[in-house]
Amino acid sequence: MNDRPRKITLDQWDDRHAELRAAGLNEPSYGGPLGRHAAQGDVRLRKLSFDNSPAALRLWNFLLSEEDRLRDCKARGKKLVGAMKDLGTVPVMVYSLPNLAAFYPDGAWWLPCMKENRTDLLKIADSLGIDDSFCPVRAMLGAFVNQKHFPLPGLLTCSVGATCDDFSAIAQRVESLGFPILWWEIPHRRRPDGDEPVVELPGGFTAPETQVAFVRAELERIRRALADYAGEPLTDELLSAGIERANQVRSILGKLRELAYCANPCPMPALEMLIAEMLAIHFCSDHNETVAVLAELRDEVVRRVRAGIGVLADDAVRVFWVNPVADLRVMNLLEDAGGRVCGTEYLFCHALDPIPADLPPMEALARMALADPMVGSPRDRTGRIVADIRRFGAEALVVSRIPGASHCAWEAAAIGEAVRAQLDIPMIDIEVPSLADAMRPTLRTRLEALLETARTRRR
Amino acid sequence: MICAGVDAGSRTAKVVLFDSDSLGVAAAGVVDQGIDQDAVADALFVRLIRENGIDPSQVGPVVGTGYGRKLIRFAQKTITEITCQAAGIRHSVPEARTIIDIGGQDSKYLRLNGNGSVADFAMNDRCAAGTGRFLELLAAQLGVRLDRLGEIAALSRNPAIISSMCAVFAETEIVGLLASGITTADIAAGVLASIATRVAAMSGRNLDGPIVLTGGVALVPGMEAALESILGQPVAVAPRPQITCALGAAILAWKSLNGSPTPTA
Ligand code: SF4
Repeated sequence: MNDRPRKITLDQWDDRHAELRAAGLNEPSYGGPLGRHAAQGDVRLRKLSFDNSPAALRLWNFLLSEEDRLRDCKARGKKLVGAMKDLGTVPVMVYSLPNLAAFYPDGAWWLPCMKENRTDLLKIADSLGIDDSFCPVRAMLGAFVNQKHFPLPGLLTCSVGATCDDFSAIAQRVESLGFPILWWEIPHRRRPDGDEPVVELPGGFTAPETQVAFVRAELERIRRALADYAGEPLTDELLSAGIERANQVRSILGKLRELAYCANPCPMPALEMLIAEMLAIHFCSDHNETVAVLAELRDEVVRRVRAGIGVLADDAVRVFWVNPVADLRVMNLLEDAGGRVCGTEYLFCHALDPIPADLPPMEALARMALADPMVGSPRDRTGRIVADIRRFGAEALVVSRIPGASHCAWEAAAIGEAVRAQLDIPMIDIEVPSLADAMRPTLRTRLEALLETARTRRR
Repeated sequence: MICAGVDAGSRTAKVVLFDSDSLGVAAAGVVDQGIDQDAVADALFVRLIRENGIDPSQVGPVVGTGYGRKLIRFAQKTITEITCQAAGIRHSVPEARTIIDIGGQDSKYLRLNGNGSVADFAMNDRCAAGTGRFLELLAAQLGVRLDRLGEIAALSRNPAIISSMCAVFAETEIVGLLASGITTADIAAGVLASIATRVAAMSGRNLDGPIVLTGGVALVPGMEAALESILGQPVAVAPRPQITCALGAAILAWKSLNGSPTPTA
């Protein structure tokens, strides 16, 4: 069996899976050949290429079995919380209570891609007045209506305020259909005025103390609702233990990112890294398993780095990537064109920073929530992107926009301007719809041109 | 040694044969694109060699570029039109710092470093606005031949405002303008200004000069004047503006022969 790291197709994975099983591969309950997910409707998998490690197999199987796990949780009497528009705060609180599990209904935004539009999710959203002028996350509305993708949770939370307009509109439409939502408000993070007491936030931002107190009070409302729903108090002790577990995930991811984005040759493809990073915000409804999945992936990366082996050519151009792509295939495309991802800002980089463990837990969570790059000025977000580009030594930048998404209408121009002024690296902005096949040649040209430009500067 | 560049564009195929001894163009040609892009380019390539009395054994590396570059089977290497365009202009207008390229179905802007390499670029290849296709459609709507559009636009006293960037809506707008008695000259000037505005929006306003215009649309008289008036800076049409990208591909083919690394993946 060829165990050298490489990228393989779905069919090749199924053959390899059979070989690994014959050689004694131990798999968790959700294990099995990846091809079965395609047979069950995730047909986009047939067009992707994957890392060939058992760790990557486990990661994909974990992600793609989320719907089964949620139904199973419910059948076992666990109570489900749908944490909407939440990039890593409420799930930490939910997992502090043993009989609750959180999930991320927003994740439905990838379903049209995974199912190559063979789903009625977007049609349902259209019929409810949420058409393609909205962010593709509108697929979530369809998922609430057709109830084919996740079981209905007993409690739904959603952050609102300085979050994006699209999501607020879509979530209000969800609520209008009879799915009550517990809203919590996050204010636009502003710079403290001269005489205001200042609080340091994770990620190097600051906020006025009054804003942190406001968010803490909002989260206290969530805390009470979670305790009522669970039927037991959500104590500071439970929360601190929950924060510690969340930090365990963040710490594994921190190490994984450091290695995967800095080592040469690139030890892990961009697509698997994207999936791994997403686990930081919702744990795929099983916190312990998330830790195990990520630890195995990290160990595989450590092994590859020590052996000096990887999945891409040594001279792949180092690209910093901003925003997740609606079509996962585009991450493969970058690598096919000769690039590699080294550094990302997938809208939730604050969820990769450790939550302060030396503060009272609600204060720590409030500071974390306010450190969200999307609730402050674009200047703050850009500042973090520039700092991370320097840290990871990226040679080029891609800002990937999402059609219809209101959060990013002007951000590419703002980020481009800052990058041009502060760093001498080329950048492009691209728009990636849920199925980008028709645009593949033009996307490829832009990516190749970017990589060529970066390569020219090496000399 | 002859090195070749093949630019498989969306509307035309261009081939340049570059003589590495004289460092000049030995032959160049442009033909309309077809379904089989490889066959179209190959036929042009073979014809240029034959018609110019070039010994086929003297023909060396071939680089493919342009939208259909991956389809050119006789090219040993492919490089994007961004890198090739910069290389072509570096050869023909070395002092240029900005390239505006308006082709049949796309438009691009490239900012160049002092050494002629690409500092920055942007492309519009998703919509007809700001491309030759927009011009073609609207010239047809006006009943004016494309090569006379500039001449007619020059007669304009009061250029019409074409507010829609979308070619389909702009066509409807023109119907309305004609019906309300606006002259063909004013509408033609409005069409050129509309393309220039679109291209200027893509490239930003603070362009470093000298600015050169390339691509098939550079051959439309009046286009550079329309750009100049929107950008507020002089714009020069590059020599043989349709073939600069193929020329760059040929030069990069020659450089690869020399051992200079070409920036392909
Ligand atoms: S617009 Fe942006 S921030 Fe809002 S839901 Fe869509 S992707 Fe998320």
